[in-house]
Amino acid sequence: MAREHHSYTSRTKSASPADSTPTGSFPKVKSSSRHITFSHIAMRLVVCLLCAVVGMAAIIQHKNIQSSYASLSENELVRLLDETNQQMSLLENQKTQLSNQLESIQSAADQRAQLQKIENENKTTQDILAGTLPATGPGVRITIRQGSSHIDAGTLFNLIEELRNAGAEVIQVNNVRVVTSTYFENTHDGVDCDGSELHSPYVFQAIGDQEALTNSINIAGGVGSRLRVQYGASVSIEKKDALKITKIRQPKKFTYAQPIE
Amino acid sequence: MAAVIGLIIGIVAGLFIQPTVPVALQPYLPIMVVAAIDALMGAARSYFERSFSDRAFIVSLFSNIIIAAVLVLVGNQLGVGSQLSTAVLVVLGIRIFSNATAIRRFLFRS
Repeated sequence: MAREHHSYTSRTKSASPADSTPTGSFPKVKSSSRHITFSHIAMRLVVCLLCAVVGMAAIIQHKNIQSSYASLSENELVRLLDETNQQMSLLENQKTQLSNQLESIQSAADQRAQLQKIENENKTTQDILAGTLPATGPGVRITIRQGSSHIDAGTLFNLIEELRNAGAEVIQVNNVRVVTSTYFENTHDGVDCDGSELHSPYVFQAIGDQEALTNSINIAGGVGSRLRVQYGASVSIEKKDALKITKIRQPKKFTYAQPIE
Repeated sequence: MAAVIGLIIGIVAGLFIQPTVPVALQPYLPIMVVAAIDALMGAARSYFERSFSDRAFIVSLFSNIIIAAVLVLVGNQLGVGSQLSTAVLVVLGIRIFSNATAIRRFLFRS
């Protein structure tokens, strides 16, 4: 009441600030000091920029630390060097081991290839000797025409033996390939060779040294003269530079014998 | 708010661009970063205590960074660089911890 009165009186008494309403009954709103000025914005921007720089520097340092030795102390560097050296010697050892291994494997492979080659050569030789492969080479062809008397199987076998002694490698009689088990047997008008009947003329083909083969037949008192004199047969020898012996034998099947590994 | 945005921008920028640090600056960069983090923690504390001032933050940031770098430089010149940088890191770490404690007290009232 008094207050109203006072205000009333003040309003009536002082005319000049007639419209000044007393605001004492209302808490005065604290005036905001945040006047957005240019310098404020600039400050904000500077703070923002500085924080950005700090963050970036932190990240860059974080990235940098993984690749840089500059920040390491001497002890750490020495330790690092030691570790690297140790690792290096380890790797060297490993490398030596591996190269040794490689070498041994290579030499083993070489050896195996060598063995394979020898084996193949042997196989070819054996096959030629066993008569399972056709063969070609220089040699002689001996044609024997039966004369007055029947030529004995033993004489023909002698001729084969002579040829073998002279180093004949492959022999064929008519159409029979001569091998280690070849036999001759007398029949009434010819010979039986390995189950096939042969008649005159007997054609022997032998691969080997031509001179030696010719000499072995023509030698004085040899099988050639015996054929001519004893049996009245004609013996002609032709040297051939590329004699082809194409007759082959099937490899023999062994029933009892087995190779020793 | 501006500081947080700036930090995020800076971290993202650091992740994507790969500037090479000059060799002369390399020994000082970690110390400078730690000093700047100390200044940031101080600013965060004063922000929570409603006494944050842009000017004070900027000045403290620069002074922290420069003093830390100069200390390490002097230490390097005197042959005690690693020890002195350790000392600087210890002091800055203590300050960071005390500032963090103050912020925590303010946030959790405990």
